[in-house]
Amino acid sequence: MLNLVKNESVKLLKRPSTYIMIALIVVGTILFGFLTQWLHSNSKNDSNNDWKQGLQQDIELYEQEYENTNEEWYKNWMESQIAINQYRIENDIPPSYVDYSMWSFIDESSLMITFVGLFVIIIASGIVANEYSRGTIKMLLVKPYKRWKILLSKYITVILSLLFLLAILFITAAITGALFFGLGDTNAVYLTYENGQVIEQSLLLYLIKLYVLSSVSTLLLATMAFMISAVFRTSGLAVGISIFLLLVGPIITSNLANHFEWTKYTLFANTDLMQYLEGTVLMDGMTLEFSLVILAIHLILFLAISFYLFNKRDVSA
Amino acid sequence: MKPIIELRNVSKKIRNKQIIDNLSFKVMAGEVLGFLGPNGAGKTTTIRMITGLMKVSSGEIIINGTNLKQDFEKAISQIGAIVENPELYKFLTGYENLMQAARLYKGVTKEKINQVVEMVGLKDHIHNKVKTYSLGMRQRLGIALCLLHDPKVLILDEPTNGLDPAGIKEIRHYLRKLAHENNLAILVSSHLLSEMEMMCDRIAIIQNGKLVNIQRVKEEEVKTRPYFIQVDKITSALNILQDAGYEANPHEHGIEVYLEKKQVPEIIQQFVQQNILIYEVKVISKSLEDRFLEITNDKAVTSHA
Repeated sequence: MLNLVKNESVKLLKRPSTYIMIALIVVGTILFGFLTQWLHSNSKNDSNNDWKQGLQQDIELYEQEYENTNEEWYKNWMESQIAINQYRIENDIPPSYVDYSMWSFIDESSLMITFVGLFVIIIASGIVANEYSRGTIKMLLVKPYKRWKILLSKYITVILSLLFLLAILFITAAITGALFFGLGDTNAVYLTYENGQVIEQSLLLYLIKLYVLSSVSTLLLATMAFMISAVFRTSGLAVGISIFLLLVGPIITSNLANHFEWTKYTLFANTDLMQYLEGTVLMDGMTLEFSLVILAIHLILFLAISFYLFNKRDVSA
Repeated sequence: MKPIIELRNVSKKIRNKQIIDNLSFKVMAGEVLGFLGPNGAGKTTTIRMITGLMKVSSGEIIINGTNLKQDFEKAISQIGAIVENPELYKFLTGYENLMQAARLYKGVTKEKINQVVEMVGLKDHIHNKVKTYSLGMRQRLGIALCLLHDPKVLILDEPTNGLDPAGIKEIRHYLRKLAHENNLAILVSSHLLSEMEMMCDRIAIIQNGKLVNIQRVKEEEVKTRPYFIQVDKITSALNILQDAGYEANPHEHGIEVYLEKKQVPEIIQQFVQQNILIYEVKVISKSLEDRFLEITNDKAVTSHA
């Protein structure tokens, strides 16, 4: 099995397209660094020292809003913001925009995970379909491994490439952030609001969590692309559908969520696990456990279809 | 000799269409069996079933004593196969392609890889990308890939497709050597008769998914052979032969008759006694092509030959 995964990795790493992906992530992050620095140098004259005053104003604003709204999730969100702001003032912990550092940049670079998602979907779409289009599937399947082992090795390779690209993004963001904005406070903490309490977390741990949880939708979509590619044996369709859903899925879902109760059972209502980290959920009655179950059901369904068809099918290409 | 590949009543149905119908044959160690038939007869389907790419609808496939369905990994590990063209990773070098295969079998050493490369004569090009290879080089790399793990069985679908005469001769030489010296069972498919005749020990003819005939390539082993005898009195000559129980027919200016070698002088003696003048006696040597056409009655095939 290890050798199968190694073979798949070699096939990926010997292709120029893989290096283009890595280069785009690195260059994109560095450009994002330039952009961020430019934005900050323009707004430097903000009164950084008055951050406590600023937060106090925010708190008052939220409190007013709180009275005027009936939206449950909005109330929850404001409640958490008020609590966190008060905690900052009391414990003298400035918000990240006051002391912008490497940490803040890594946090903001998590936006680029969509980019990583795009590439992982391309890899997942091609890893089975390309063997068919090249005809090499015939050479692969006559090796002394059952078909499910061959498919599993490909799926493992997809997950490894997701982790690999995420690590590249994280490290590039850290280096770029450190060069542009300095290391910042190494003991920096991240504040969350859970069960009516403000909790201090290690910032590094929080960021790693942020990256991994932000990749959940990517993992699910990559698995879907993997399935489409195993079912239809062409990569184009898999790339198209999956990237469309990656970009549009969350928007459609949040619109549907306002109208239909059943939306919470759909894939995209649950892919944003950060909502539980931040304490504000899309719909009532949703918990981390609920989302994990829904995600697991989707994941198992996608994989079951892939493995069933890949195993059963005659290869006549 | 024991059979290394054995098909027992193998059938394949695709969407209610009978592609392969109750096919049974054996390939022994040390022989090259040619698998011959017109396009669409089911050659490639059979090969795909033996290599596990397609599943049989019914019947059994036994590879060196192991049932393919029951223990796929053990059965398939004894096979080296190229189905249609050798499909290679063009963005990898020849050596990297070999490494891809070598990782998937137990006990393939560096020495073994080098030895196989040497054998197919790709030593100078093995570290070049496969996309720079000619078709002949790709075929040779394909064969190298099949031989890495010392298989008991070699299955090649149209191995000489697209090769020049020199390349064809080379492949033929390899295959005969592998079968006869290394005791491999080799199954080769083709629709090219002349090529098969030179490459194989036995030939199985398949048509419409059915095995029509299996025979040795060398005609010496056939007991009776057709003779042509040119005589002046055809009718009386025919009568003599038919009375004696021979299978004889008029043929242009003489007779065609099936005889064993030792019977030839006896017949001549009889004709001389009856005052029949003999102008010519010769063996009608039937090429494989004649026999193939006789069996399949399919003229379309010859156009490829």
